Amino acid sequence: MTLVEKILAKKAGKKVVRPDELVEVSVDLAMIHDALGAHTIAKFRELGVEKVWDPARIIVVLDHYVPNKDIDTAKKCLNIKKFVIEQGIENYYEVGKGGIAHQVLVEKGHVLPGTTLVGVDSHTTTSGVVGAFATGIGVDEMAVVFKTGRLWERVPGTIRINVEGKLVPPIASKDLMLFILKRLGVSGALFKSLQYTGSAINQMSVESRMVLTNMAIESGATNGIIEADQKIVDFLRARTTHSFELIQSDQDAEYAETLEFHADDIKEPMVAVPPKPSNAVGVTEVEGTRIDQAFIGACTNGRMEDLRIAARILKGRKVDKFTKVIVIPASQEVFKSALAEGLMATFVEAGAVVGPPTCGPCMEAHMGILGPGEVCISTANRNFQGRVGDVTAKIYLASPATVAASALKGKISDPREFFRET
Amino acid sequence: MELKGRVWKFGKDVDTDELFAGRFIMGGDETSTSQYQEFIARSGLSDVGHRENVPRDFVTRVEKGDIIVAEENFGIGSSRQQAAETLKFKGVQAVVADSIHRIFFRNFWNLGCPAIDLPGISAEFETGHGIVINLRQGTIKNLNTGKEFEFHLIIPSWFVDMVEAGGLIPYHKSLKS
Ligand code: SF4
Repeated sequence: MTLVEKILAKKAGKKVVRPDELVEVSVDLAMIHDALGAHTIAKFRELGVEKVWDPARIIVVLDHYVPNKDIDTAKKCLNIKKFVIEQGIENYYEVGKGGIAHQVLVEKGHVLPGTTLVGVDSHTTTSGVVGAFATGIGVDEMAVVFKTGRLWERVPGTIRINVEGKLVPPIASKDLMLFILKRLGVSGALFKSLQYTGSAINQMSVESRMVLTNMAIESGATNGIIEADQKIVDFLRARTTHSFELIQSDQDAEYAETLEFHADDIKEPMVAVPPKPSNAVGVTEVEGTRIDQAFIGACTNGRMEDLRIAARILKGRKVDKFTKVIVIPASQEVFKSALAEGLMATFVEAGAVVGPPTCGPCMEAHMGILGPGEVCISTANRNFQGRVGDVTAKIYLASPATVAASALKGKISDPREFFRET
Repeated sequence: MELKGRVWKFGKDVDTDELFAGRFIMGGDETSTSQYQEFIARSGLSDVGHRENVPRDFVTRVEKGDIIVAEENFGIGSSRQQAAETLKFKGVQAVVADSIHRIFFRNFWNLGCPAIDLPGISAEFETGHGIVINLRQGTIKNLNTGKEFEFHLIIPSWFVDMVEAGGLIPYHKSLKS
């Protein structure tokens, strides 16, 4: 069996499971956030149950609309807070304490290898980085999970994405992921799991790997997963006292498909042209495209290594006069580290605005919304029409280095130029 | 269980931002059912005139009992259940597509509305055709061409009961604990 099959078998209490088999698994962790939390709670109340199955297994993070932007969002967050207190849920991240849920779940050591996590968010797949089965569900199902602690799942067959070689900066895991999506398309992995393997993945930092599991959903996949290695063990040891078991795919595991990639295949930084994350082209093909906004952040690329590479490009320079440049750390922890390293000062001096940890202009939630015809280059994960505001706005997806280089020039730019200079 | 309706033909990759824009997610009071349903129905597919994969008159002319037949990858994107709810509250009783994204698939069934994936089915229907879906037998019939197609869904055995109960929440309420 593959890694994901072994996790699902274990959680279903079965010896063996096969792709496309239906199983009922126990849920180790369930996450709600402010965008769909009040909705989940209303559904839970409708079920007529008093108490959640296990308050210790529920995590609540306020991230999309914080600090609250209006009365509606404040009301919903208040409802969520009341529920948290009423149910005795310990793992509650109020604004200023957490950040974007997917970042918080991993960086605080909540998600452990070999476990199951569901969240009311499609990018819950991010947590697969520690070797967990992590996936998104809707609010009705979450209400039932709150009641029962169980979830039915169609066992996804595994598509193995094997990447050999080593990415050379400024080519980053974001470029690799856009390159992979170009091959897979936005429906290439429906009801399948993406498992990333190979020397390029092994050498990658945990932060870089998170980009791959985050954007697994963009191929239609049920989840994205990477086997936990020593790097993950060390990462988690520093964050949690809970014990965990390391699970590996069997030697004779059967994969639905194996796609082979080599780091050297990625000849230049990649940019996903609107309106699909799979529309990847080399940056030189779209170089010079005028932009109105450049956004560095989101659960995809709002971590320390992302901010470091952006700061390296922006340091001592000024961003384009007519371009709105927005930098948002993915969590309070990232914010603190970036402050300590002086990165925030670099951004502010360059003429960027720095926001508090929140989703920001990744979607049309709060801050940095685009007007008619505006063009944004973003480190986020989706560029669907209307994703970040007016339906005629255009979103290009790229790595933090490419977005930073573009911010300086007010047009899509190749970050390699700055790497030769510095 | 038989569902009969009029077809709306959609294109491929209809995404959840398109079905229900982010700016409406925090609107509506989900504890007040009729107000909420009205809000969700009204807010969905708000930018439809700019899309190529949805018929332009869908929002103004959709009626209770209509059925969407779509090309591949219906419902790609977010967990937002409103993307499924808006179709239900606009009157759509089922979605049939060449392929359907996992989260939308689950969300739509959970609302008591079947989502049926059958590769190649979209080529067999046009907007305005009559369609009959027999859930227990696993058949779809085009009333205009007379052609019938079989489907085999990978769904839990209790799903059709759930649809009959009106969705996941009413189904769970009806179970003896
Ligand atoms: S940053 Fe974007 S993709 Fe990530 S959770 Fe927030 S809205 Fe979703």
